[in-house]
Amino acid sequence: MARQTAGELPLAAPPQETRDAARRAPRWRSLREALIGYGFAAPYLILFTVFLAVPIVASLVISFTDFSLGAIDDPADAKFVGLQNYQDLVSDQKFKSAAANTAYFVLAGVPLTMAAGLAAAVGLNSQVVRFRALFRVGYYTPVVMSIVAIAVVWRYILDVDVGLLNNVLDAVGLPRVAWLSTPALAMPSIILIAVWRNLGFAMVIFLAGLQGIPQETYEAARMDGAGRWQEFRHVTLPLLRPTLAFVAVVSSAGYLQLFEEPFVMTGGGPLDRTISVAMYMYEQGFGFFNLGYAGAIAYVLFVAILVLTVLQLRLFRSAT
Amino acid sequence: MRKLAAAVVAAVLLAACGGGGDGGGDANQPTTITVWAMGAEGEKLGTLADEFTKQNPNITVKVTPITWDVAHQKLITSVAGRQTPDVSQLGTTWMAEFGKLGALDEVPDNIKAADFFEGAWNTNVIEGKAVGVPWYVETRVLYYRTDIAEKAGAKMPPANWQELQDAATKIKKETGKYGIGMLPNAAGTWQEFMPFVWQNGGDVVDASGNPTLNSPQVIEALEQYTAFYKQGLAPKNATQGFAVEAGFIAGDYGMFFSGPWHVGILNDTGKKIKGKWAIAPMPREQSGTSFVGGSNLVVFNASKNKDAAWKFVEFAAKPETQALWYKTVADLPSNKAAWNSGDLAGQEELQVFRTQLDDAKSAPNVATWEQLATKINDHIERAALGKTTPAEAAAGMQQDAQTLLQK
Repeated sequence: MARQTAGELPLAAPPQETRDAARRAPRWRSLREALIGYGFAAPYLILFTVFLAVPIVASLVISFTDFSLGAIDDPADAKFVGLQNYQDLVSDQKFKSAAANTAYFVLAGVPLTMAAGLAAAVGLNSQVVRFRALFRVGYYTPVVMSIVAIAVVWRYILDVDVGLLNNVLDAVGLPRVAWLSTPALAMPSIILIAVWRNLGFAMVIFLAGLQGIPQETYEAARMDGAGRWQEFRHVTLPLLRPTLAFVAVVSSAGYLQLFEEPFVMTGGGPLDRTISVAMYMYEQGFGFFNLGYAGAIAYVLFVAILVLTVLQLRLFRSAT
Repeated sequence: MRKLAAAVVAAVLLAACGGGGDGGGDANQPTTITVWAMGAEGEKLGTLADEFTKQNPNITVKVTPITWDVAHQKLITSVAGRQTPDVSQLGTTWMAEFGKLGALDEVPDNIKAADFFEGAWNTNVIEGKAVGVPWYVETRVLYYRTDIAEKAGAKMPPANWQELQDAATKIKKETGKYGIGMLPNAAGTWQEFMPFVWQNGGDVVDASGNPTLNSPQVIEALEQYTAFYKQGLAPKNATQGFAVEAGFIAGDYGMFFSGPWHVGILNDTGKKIKGKWAIAPMPREQSGTSFVGGSNLVVFNASKNKDAAWKFVEFAAKPETQALWYKTVADLPSNKAAWNSGDLAGQEELQVFRTQLDDAKSAPNVATWEQLATKINDHIERAALGKTTPAEAAAGMQQDAQTLLQK
């Protein structure tokens, strides 16, 4: 069995030969090469430092202060408060709702997106599908469309009085449903929209993964008398494991930052059932300019993403 | 991660900016002033600027239109970076924040408080000092369908809460839909709710600034407000961000509370209910108080041309200009004298707003108001959906007010 890619994510690391060659080369040459290298990397490095590294460190510092509106005029106004912001988060009911909603969104949304993406990929990869290009474009289009535009359109579709979906329900004699303003239905509605939007991305990655599986393995399985389901279960799934890991990690990190859909469609309501951690951070930071508190929220979210990513990598690695 | 980074970048930039400048400027020298304005005002302000330059040839006005959704951030950033315009439009509920930042210049003596509606002027008074001038105003009144009310046998306009509720009940019976279009979950829900508090003699804070949101007056107001939802007279589950007029035109709502902009909207989009609706002042309990909003004009401390800037504000606030401005964008004048002349005097339906403006209040001028308003909205929503009792909601509001107002 072709196992050469199993267990490793396609993460960037210089191949061993390049590093060895550099070590053996004369000093001046390696220095010159290094300078040229840094020269090429400089535009990125400068942007990275100014817009990412410095702010990331600064926000950590700010999260230990009470930086708010007054400090914008005079930064000396901000006082160090230690872990106060983090302590406040623990007892903040709205933050707890936001954390619970975000967890719900990730735990339901990621598996659903992966399942839907995989189903679409397997379907499109089989030889029997007609109009394959049409389907591929159809599934992928939502990924490249503006997320805000999508959210606005869905808000209209799901509206209780004038929405397309409810007009259809009405026409076939079913009761109208307030999809986005019934507390128990709002988050599931958002999850389904997110799945519809993101399955195209998962599908494209899975398609690439599927095409990397050698045909011989399927032929061998068929010779052993495997049916379609057994082929999928015992050949496709195990060989797709690295692809699955990649999609799981990327989707989870993205879904943890849920923002636009509830921001546009529900404003976090009803009853705070769809407010996400990123949205609450935005509200505190830019709605109220409580930048210290917003910084603390940002770091909690950052740590959550980090922990989940490490856990997932461990899980997929240990299973191989 | 991008969002976290963006948040931090903004913080760092804000913190790092320095520099400064102030000074008077000589009104006789050729000067240029910059004016920021939002939305429809920003688009049409050129008309006013041209008229001003005609009267003051040595002052050029540079207008920068900005959109409402970015305005607040842009202004805060400009203050932090000492890159403010000379004059700007400010929403009435933002005044305290900018006042607290010390960004606004005090209004000179030649602009008189008595010329303006009291509720509108008060939005400019921060710690006893006036730091802005009302530019235009809006206030909320009751819109109702005359045809539906008549068929339902509802007495219109309702004189007090009891009559309002009776009217809503009768209309619901007649149409099978809702009596009144209200929103328990919108960003502006507090503006719909606070009039009930004021009408009942309650308020957010007492004279010395202590929160009074758990008073019996507030609890009663909550009972009345939530009763509309509990009895099915108002929709519990309107989608947020949806305009009420569609339901009003379709006959789903017999009444709703809103500001003057709905006159224009109903004239434009509600042709099929032309002549079948009317507006009336708020129902009276202890008073018939409504909410007053709108925008003020301010001059920034960092301006280098304060004299020219105030000259522009004075120009924009005087009756003749306000009458012209009403003609240009249909904003209601903040200057009382402007109502007696020109186009406005002849518009009978607008006189309802004129009457209501004499009894209209705004939120207290505290920098943390927007935060408190968000919390108040949450408590109203919970109570409206029956998750908490009015007394519990009032207690929650009071607790949040105590935390936020002491900051």
